[in-house]
Amino acid sequence: RHPLATFFHLFFRVSAIITYLLCDWFSNSFVACFVTILLLLSFDFWSVKNVTGRLLVGLRWWNQIDEDGKSHWVFEAKRVPTIAASTEAEARIFWLGLIICPVIWTVFLFSTLFSLKLKWLALVIAGISLQTANLYGYIHCKLGRQKSTSRVTS
Amino acid sequence: FAGLADVSISEDIPVEGEITVPVGSHSPDEDFSTLDEPVRDTILRDLKAVGKKFVHVMYPKKSSALLRDWDLWGPLVLCVSLALMLQGGSADSKDDGGPQFAEVFVVIWFGAVVITLNSKLLGGTISFFQSLCVLGYCVLPLTVAMLVCRLVLLAGAGTVSFIVRLIVVVAMFGWSTLASTAFLADSQPPNRKALVVYPIFLFYFVISWMILTFTPQ
Repeated sequence: RHPLATFFHLFFRVSAIITYLLCDWFSNSFVACFVTILLLLSFDFWSVKNVTGRLLVGLRWWNQIDEDGKSHWVFEAKRVPTIAASTEAEARIFWLGLIICPVIWTVFLFSTLFSLKLKWLALVIAGISLQTANLYGYIHCKLGRQKSTSRVTS
Repeated sequence: FAGLADVSISEDIPVEGEITVPVGSHSPDEDFSTLDEPVRDTILRDLKAVGKKFVHVMYPKKSSALLRDWDLWGPLVLCVSLALMLQGGSADSKDDGGPQFAEVFVVIWFGAVVITLNSKLLGGTISFFQSLCVLGYCVLPLTVAMLVCRLVLLAGAGTVSFIVRLIVVVAMFGWSTLASTAFLADSQPPNRKALVVYPIFLFYFVISWMILTFTPQ
């Protein structure tokens, strides 16, 4: 039902990983690769947080600051999820993409540390934090919904 | 509908109904309208928010826009452009100033994190990301200074250009520090303001130093 959203969900994450692996082929310049991967990671973070989450699985999370300056993290889930075959497939793609990519970036972290290519360290850490933040946010949304349905049915 | 004109309810019929309270997190209706909005609206809304914040940095009054709806896009864009303009300028750049680029990044983000932790430990009421947002957006005057410095250096690198650059950088440094303290110092108890302002001063001083000592190869 949302082929474009599914495509973009995977496109930015996978392009960031591929660019990181093949950066020596694309260009000699460290700076160009760094900026490209950083921009891809940022676009991925924004699109997964704001667009693909609510379109593919009906979940959303954000931070809001109220009048007296306290910050609240809000995790929201669509009340009546529609169970259709296409939404099942999309949800599976969503969660697979969400989980596999931070794992790959963690592998990159260790490879950077052990091969001492420390100039990439900042980028790998940025990648891990952005993708893990989305993963954590959506897991929190999903667990929140399961908690509230169990309260209704108990 | 002529027959409905004389419909009336006699007073001894009890009016009854059912009040159901939805269980679980109750979200107001506006949230569901943005849950289903088209993507272009989301993009435009976020872009407008970022643009408004840039304007607020240039005219720092005590408004809550920078504080309430924080975002880190502006700091990312400013950091990347500042790092791009600052590279290729130091004596030991071998290939293309790669390490210097990552250094600028680390200085800005790590410095901002340290200042935020400092202000939180001193008992500030501002949240972590709000503080990062303000510090990041207030790098805008220094980015403008960097742009001006690069243009001045295109014309020549003598004493006159150094004086011009010095004046521009000092002015922008003052603007950055004033803008960020206008937003951040309010959230501290009054006897701690100097303790909070000093690291911010140091942070922008280091960035201004990097800008002023930049010489193209």
